[in-house]
Amino acid sequence: MTAIESAHAELSQALAPERILSDPLESALYARDASMFEGGCTLVALPVSTEEVAACLRIARDHQMFVVPRGSGTGLAGAAVPFGNALVVATTKMNRVLEIRTEDRLAWVQPGIVNLDLVEELRPLGYTFAPDPSSQQVCSVGGNVGTNAGGPHCLAYGVTSSHILAVEIVLPDGTVEVFGSEGPEWPGYDLRGLVVGSEGTLGIVTRVCVRLVPLAPAVRTMLLDFPTVEDCAATVSAIIAAGVIPAALEMMDQLVTGAIENYVHAGYPTDAAAVLLVEVDGLAESVKAQALEVASAAHGNNVRNVRVAETEAERELLWKGRKSAFGATAQIAPDYHLHDCVVPRTKLAAVLTDVYEIVRRNDLKVLNVFHAGDGNLHPLLVFDRREPGALDRVLRASEEIVRLCVQAGGALSGEHGIGLEKRDFMHLVFNDTDLGAQACLRDAFDPEGRMNPQKVLPSSARCGDHIALRGNDAVPNELPEGTWI
Amino acid sequence: MDLIHPPSKGDVVEVLRSASADATRVLIVGGRQHMGKGNPTEVDAELWTTQLDGLVAYEPAEMVAVVGAGMRFADLDRILKDGGQEWPADAPADATVGGIIAAAVTSPRRLRVGALRDTVLEVELVTGDGRLIRGGARVVKNVTGYDIPRFVAGSLGTLGAIVQVALKVKPRPKSRRTLVWNTEDSIAVGLRLLEAVPSPTSVLATADRVEMRLEGWPDEVAAQTRAAASIGGGFEALDEADFPSRAPWLTAPIVAEVSTAPSRLQAVAARAGGNWAALLGVGIMWVGLDSEETLARLRDELPDDAISPVVKGSGGLGDSPPAAAIHQRLKASFDPTGILAPGRFWGEGA
Repeated sequence: MTAIESAHAELSQALAPERILSDPLESALYARDASMFEGGCTLVALPVSTEEVAACLRIARDHQMFVVPRGSGTGLAGAAVPFGNALVVATTKMNRVLEIRTEDRLAWVQPGIVNLDLVEELRPLGYTFAPDPSSQQVCSVGGNVGTNAGGPHCLAYGVTSSHILAVEIVLPDGTVEVFGSEGPEWPGYDLRGLVVGSEGTLGIVTRVCVRLVPLAPAVRTMLLDFPTVEDCAATVSAIIAAGVIPAALEMMDQLVTGAIENYVHAGYPTDAAAVLLVEVDGLAESVKAQALEVASAAHGNNVRNVRVAETEAERELLWKGRKSAFGATAQIAPDYHLHDCVVPRTKLAAVLTDVYEIVRRNDLKVLNVFHAGDGNLHPLLVFDRREPGALDRVLRASEEIVRLCVQAGGALSGEHGIGLEKRDFMHLVFNDTDLGAQACLRDAFDPEGRMNPQKVLPSSARCGDHIALRGNDAVPNELPEGTWI
Repeated sequence: MDLIHPPSKGDVVEVLRSASADATRVLIVGGRQHMGKGNPTEVDAELWTTQLDGLVAYEPAEMVAVVGAGMRFADLDRILKDGGQEWPADAPADATVGGIIAAAVTSPRRLRVGALRDTVLEVELVTGDGRLIRGGARVVKNVTGYDIPRFVAGSLGTLGAIVQVALKVKPRPKSRRTLVWNTEDSIAVGLRLLEAVPSPTSVLATADRVEMRLEGWPDEVAAQTRAAASIGGGFEALDEADFPSRAPWLTAPIVAEVSTAPSRLQAVAARAGGNWAALLGVGIMWVGLDSEETLARLRDELPDDAISPVVKGSGGLGDSPPAAAIHQRLKASFDPTGILAPGRFWGEGA
């Protein structure tokens, strides 16, 4: 019996035979996420409890297998793409709300619960889970933890890390720990904070204690349209400078609004160079005051029209337009590559101008639909991968955009993570000493380098030689043949 | 005791490199405002960060301020005030930015302003062996590797010397008001206020009063005041006052910070004596105590999930955290020779 066969047998016994997949066709479904990467995996486990996840990790350790955690597989950076001798542990069957305690403003959930399912369950109670990535209809809360996910409303409410009180995690050796607490503080290093955004490299989260946020009593959604992209970007800075932090501040350029209009008929003005979707919330009095400031900032920057959603249905339609943007691009080209960089807000206009120039030079098309209030760009390069050379041009333009954002003082990723996609760009923002320190953090949790290898840190990043924790030699340095995009 | 007062980041690197080489034990010191937090430690030298007090970058439209870690809280607040903004740490005027972060200070306004660690966007840290490392970025959203800023927040100078940080700042409220109820049924009254008043900035209960902080647009504060009046009972309104308006627990020799699920605060209050302050809806209670014996008694009687590190005076951090082995490995990788505040935290194998 090979090591894989024994692992398969032990997993079947520890979980249930029907929840271990090894058929090439079935496991091929787990060889990709929503990025352009495709890998391959040996076994897929679908545990239903913390104990089963722990068993998976112990069996993987005993048989020297790498482990790749997976939620709904909507990640855009390739963090859930497995390769080689990997056991994929998918948490999709761990999808229950375990406990909601509004008096404590918290809920315990399993990691596989879909973000929107949790939000819908909380709504009648007057609360919400604030992170709302565009994929919220399908993405899991565990995946949100893995990528420290964002979404339009994290401008005012903060990213996922601000909404996670505690995590129960199975460490690579199979032990179970709880980091963080139901109370807001704890003594000790913020291991909870390290796990959030770690892209499945430190262990597998099996329960999540999320913070509940009371629903705002009033909300107002506005659509502002502008004759130029520069006016639109300048309005973003003017709103922030006026002391207003809207609940959401989303920018869309003309190619996007045209595609959206064809698709969902949200009433977006297709002749505007760019539009801003602005939402303010709070008490009715605060909403009114904020809306006045927003309108005033827009009028100072040549706004053509300020449309206020008069009804809930109109508000939902405006948001439906925004959230359908990625689907709408299929009218333009069959494939897209979605970028995620952050730049200082005041540099938005200049950076966008350069993005258009990069795209023109590479003979591509770009749609810009993004979280302008956070400076979080999402240039969407649309192309047809059947066209010879198109993918190469996309990758070249992507790299130029990354370098542009870094030069503007930005970060490689605002919410999608590093995964495979950007790990080799990490040296653009961090030096070897910085990356070495990050490698040490990883080694502290996973001394044998078993969890989601190759992700996040470039292969050159090593915990310093002076620290006798372990040699990193157990981890392969290069991506295997066949991992391709 | 040697006192080292480096004027630059490069000097901090040199100091810690040589301290590591000759096993000099070092305590990183900012404004001496959080010296009681953590377990007792014995050191050979203090490294003062207070000369690292420069403003590196501040653009109000970015809502990001980059400052040297030795900058005093009052100085930062003055700079931000000119931009119509604030860093809502509510720390003592003399506290340094680095010290506030290292001690993970909780603001009395936490209900609305959130956790301090969520405001640290980028950090530069000199490790125990003199490596200058940077984590995070000067933008408000960032998933680029492990979250070193949050990791360093609350680490009490055991991982390295914080030398520079980028902070997420927020608009200064246009209007602020504190409403005060004098009542011995303070937690119950406070909980009713939490139900009745949308988005208060804080509801702070002590043994004999409730102070509710309201901040925002003038019309918003007026509407919140009307909502507060609906619960009945007389209250006093203090406009533009400091918050809280008084803090008797801070004068006790020992102050413990209890953290628990918010609904357990009532049970903690019943065991906390008469000098406490609870942040309702948050789950923090500060308890003024007169001796280590009363602290030990409090810890014995706390509900199971409650944690009580000392923030002022003696008495240490209490029970050790989960995953001691991970704490030890993290400590060893940032401070390989163990010179930084040995024993102040866990991670020494104790």
